[in-house]
Amino acid sequence: MSYADFRLETVAETIPNPFRRVVRFVFEWIPIAIVAGLWELASGTAVSSEILPPPSAVFAVSWELLVSGRILPHLQVSLYRIGVGLGLSIVVGVALGVGMARVKPIENFFEVFLALIYPVPKAALVPLAILWLGIGTETAILIVFLACLLPIVLNSYNAARNVDRNLIWSARMMGMPAWKLPIKIVVPATIPSILTGIRQAIPIAFIALVSAELIASNRGVGFEILRHGQIGNYTSMFAVLVVISGTAFVAVRGYEWLERRVVTWT
Amino acid sequence: MNRTQTHRQHPPNAKSTHDTMVDGHVTIAELEKEYESGDERTTAIEDFSVTVPSGEFLGVVGPSGCGKSTLLYLVAGFLEQTTGTIAVDGDPIDGPGTDRGVVFQDYALFPWRTVMGNVTYGLEEKGVGKEERRATAQRFIDMMDLDGFEDKYPKELSGGMKQRVALARTLAYDPKILLMDEPFGALDQPLRESLQDHLIDIWRELEKTVIFITHDVEEAVYLSERVLIMTRHPGTKKTTVDIELDRTQPREELVLSDEYTATKNDVWQSLREETTPGGEH
Ligand SMILES: Nc1ncnc2c1ncn2[C@@H]1O[C@H](COP(=O)(O)OP(=O)(O)OP(=O)(O)O)[C@@H](O)[C@H]1O
Ligand SMILES: [Mg+2]
Repeated sequence: MSYADFRLETVAETIPNPFRRVVRFVFEWIPIAIVAGLWELASGTAVSSEILPPPSAVFAVSWELLVSGRILPHLQVSLYRIGVGLGLSIVVGVALGVGMARVKPIENFFEVFLALIYPVPKAALVPLAILWLGIGTETAILIVFLACLLPIVLNSYNAARNVDRNLIWSARMMGMPAWKLPIKIVVPATIPSILTGIRQAIPIAFIALVSAELIASNRGVGFEILRHGQIGNYTSMFAVLVVISGTAFVAVRGYEWLERRVVTWT
Repeated sequence: MNRTQTHRQHPPNAKSTHDTMVDGHVTIAELEKEYESGDERTTAIEDFSVTVPSGEFLGVVGPSGCGKSTLLYLVAGFLEQTTGTIAVDGDPIDGPGTDRGVVFQDYALFPWRTVMGNVTYGLEEKGVGKEERRATAQRFIDMMDLDGFEDKYPKELSGGMKQRVALARTLAYDPKILLMDEPFGALDQPLRESLQDHLIDIWRELEKTVIFITHDVEEAVYLSERVLIMTRHPGTKKTTVDIELDRTQPREELVLSDEYTATKNDVWQSLREETTPGGEH
């Protein structure tokens, strides 16, 4: 949100407090409004509205998809896949990250492994996942899990490796046995970075989900994009995209809101 | 009456003089610490021996990088010596223990715990019940003028407050020996002086053995009964200076007294020989 912040630091100073939120909101959405405006103008003039439907039509269909509830079963399936995939990646990722940081053999074993899977686009694993798990939820979960694992492992690994030595020593001098350190000191000290990792993972989860559902599903929002595209209903295809992007946006914002309220000590 | 006498006078119901003399007694003999990083070997401490009797306030000064922190962390049991022994009350130490409490220069508070949560930490590890834990912690929080801040997190505190929390946290689990590594180095003068006076009161009241590292000669002389001066790298004990001052006078008079100035100059002179290139050592 650097654009909004950049403008607001200078503009907002002069504005009374209650209006700042409104101003911030307006500034945040101006870029989108500009792009939408240009798109609206281009559609039907520069480009055929067949292949580039105007945003007014797209947003109308998005809205209709939501209020009619037609998209909801798909959204529900997709969010379930994201929830499980992301949840698993948090549990495994934090354990792996902290484990690697604290136990040399674990580090040696997984370091190369992570370096190798890092550059592989997770979408490229979908065909393989279909082979193992078939078409459906398990495959989507696996792809989301793998994609989210990396930011979470890397963030927690780096932070757990750099835990202030004095924090560990403080705990030791107060009588904490060494085996309790990972849970009682390393994990709490790493929480700010773990939270950053999760935040980074949320949009990645959506990317992974859609790439899995486009190929390996007959439900979910990714599948809906494909279905509308195949029957030539491009307005609906765009509309589903808008729903996905809006959902991801709300998920990240909601997460940040929750994070600020739950983890107050950072 | 000097302070050495003051703190050695125990109330009649105190433990026998012998016990008290043994409690918190540190013996360091022929200590050597060599750091290895890659092929590099650095001798940080060499040929270092000193005995710190129970209840003594020992100041340690030395040029930067001479191994003061290393010495303290060896005594704390955080680091392992290359050769030599460190014993507390006659028993060689084996890693960190609750008989020794460190106060770090950078506070090292647990950011995810409140002031109360930090101060009760050691008592929790000792298995003290919740009620008693809070009562004990509250006593030290009050002693450090931190009442009202029990539920604040470290990030909400100033540097001086954090240092007081750190001190309260270490005092709360009642180690016999306080090991302090330039604890007031980052604080401004008025705050530093107030914490110094606080520390003297605590040391008298709780009868701790204190090893206090500082690079500030005035601080060392003002606080300590004896000041140990270390040579420059690799650190060895150069000499120790007994500080005999009339502690009954208030600070503003004490720091102007001739004995104070003379002692301070002695220590300063001795330290200066270590810090000046080409100086005698
Ligand atoms: N982990 C380490 N690995 C290698 N060498 C180290 C390590 N820690 C300290 N040293 C070296 O040991 C020597 C003593 O360091 P130490 O931190 O104990 O000095 P100090 O007296 O506390 O210095 P200062 O007054 O600046 O805090 C220095 O030469 C330092 O470079
Ligand atoms: Mg040091």
